[in-house]
Amino acid sequence: MAVITIEGLTKRFGQVVAVDDLSFEVDQGTVVGFLGPNGAGKTTTLRTLLGLVTPTAGSARIDGRPYRELADPVRHVGAVLEASSFHPGRSARNHLRVAATAAGLPLERADAVLDQVGLTTAARRRVGGFSLGMRQRLGLATALLGDPQVLILDEPANGLDPEGVHWLRGLLRQLADQGRTVLVSSHVLAEVAQTVDQVVIIAGGRLVTQSTLAALTARTDQLVRVRTPQAESLRSLLAAQGIRADPDGTDQLLAAGTTPEAVGKAAAAAGIVIYEMGAERSNLEDVFLQLTTKQGA
Amino acid sequence: MIRLVRAEFTKLATTRLIYGLAAAMAAFAVLTVAANVLDRQGAPPLSADHFPMLVGGPVTLLSGAALLLGILGMSGEFRHQTVTQTFLVTPDRGRVVAAKLVAYPLAGIALALIILAFTAAVAAGWLAAKGITPSLLDARLGRVLLGAVLAAGLCGLLGVGVAALVRNQVAALVGVAVWVLLVEGLLMSLLHAPSLGKWLPSAAAAALTNPGGGQLSRLAGALLLAAYALALALIGTRLVVRRDIT
Repeated sequence: MAVITIEGLTKRFGQVVAVDDLSFEVDQGTVVGFLGPNGAGKTTTLRTLLGLVTPTAGSARIDGRPYRELADPVRHVGAVLEASSFHPGRSARNHLRVAATAAGLPLERADAVLDQVGLTTAARRRVGGFSLGMRQRLGLATALLGDPQVLILDEPANGLDPEGVHWLRGLLRQLADQGRTVLVSSHVLAEVAQTVDQVVIIAGGRLVTQSTLAALTARTDQLVRVRTPQAESLRSLLAAQGIRADPDGTDQLLAAGTTPEAVGKAAAAAGIVIYEMGAERSNLEDVFLQLTTKQGA
Repeated sequence: MIRLVRAEFTKLATTRLIYGLAAAMAAFAVLTVAANVLDRQGAPPLSADHFPMLVGGPVTLLSGAALLLGILGMSGEFRHQTVTQTFLVTPDRGRVVAAKLVAYPLAGIALALIILAFTAAVAAGWLAAKGITPSLLDARLGRVLLGAVLAAGLCGLLGVGVAALVRNQVAALVGVAVWVLLVEGLLMSLLHAPSLGKWLPSAAAAALTNPGGGQLSRLAGALLLAAYALALALIGTRLVVRRDIT
């Protein structure tokens, strides 16, 4: 069942089309990575979903309703947007208490979520002195305040150090294991690849693909790496057989969509010397780059 | 709605602004009492009769402080981008502005009452040191307090209204200063009609704190100031509700 529904969403800021007829769904209990290069329209999409931005056309709904019409938004949906939206003079704990008061939640929730994100020792410090990583943690604490079933996180790994990213993965996994629905955006696939079930990739405000992570992995190419002193001869030989091979350094070739057997036979027939040969796979990041640059251009 | 107003009070109590403002107002209150007591050239000698005047010294500045509180309370949300979180918790933006329209007048009144109580204590102490015993039952004292409470409350309302309309903190503060110091004076001289001047916002505020002298009555002044504040707040709210928070 779809928890998040984006349908024909378009948002124009003056002449700029930030989101262009975007549609996708996020099913209950799944963790979905929302990916795209910077400026692809991820933040605008998420802000529209959260009722902060009014769409030019189309709709963004949570459990069938626009965010602004949810009966109890804080208990329903938790969100992390940019890390700068705290009053610098207010302590972390008081920031959470303000939100808890407005949402009608018990004030003890502030201490509970601070503990959950590991900020208890900094609870009474003013946010102005926080590092970017600490602000991200405070943002997550704010999102968890109402113990919501749906989490919408915009680039939560920004500003986190490697240890922080590791911690974030653990937290996301834990939230997913509790059956929560998570939509998490990132411009780096690797950040979320270990955590998500599915990916939605956008570029230039349009949907590039929505697929499971496994299906995305299957799109990676079989590559053959060849080390030879006759790289240029081998390249034209393979090209004649319809196999694309790109030089990689002075004496290496990377042939795509073929097998070591095929390359070996072709080289032997033409009397080309081969020092070294092996099969490789292109990585997910290459697929991501390929998908997003093709569409974004 | 009550919890939204309480959230506004929590916001106010958890930054240093209100404490700094209270300290500055208290210091100014001491100065006004000192100036009124010490500088008496050509004035009748000090007596218990002067007590209400001494207490009322900081009233005009207190309405300014309430105006400042209202402006900072509304525009600060945009300046620090806390408005994102505020609107996530309460997507009905009109209710957020409404809660501020309730909270900031009350905060302005509370600040005014605390500072006036402090001023009264300083003034009474000073008079007592000179062997004068002031009366707290003086009817003029009641009028000073009533004027101060009305002016502070309505100026707090006006501040929220202005900032809801302007949103940008610096623009709101500079705009209000330019309006009070420059535009109202220019309007007066351009219109060539002092009788129209009494309808301007600062004249309406002055009618509350310093009635008499060709101005509106206190009631009319209060209603006029409330009308200005609510009109600004209404237009501002309509804009706030529609605008994208990016």
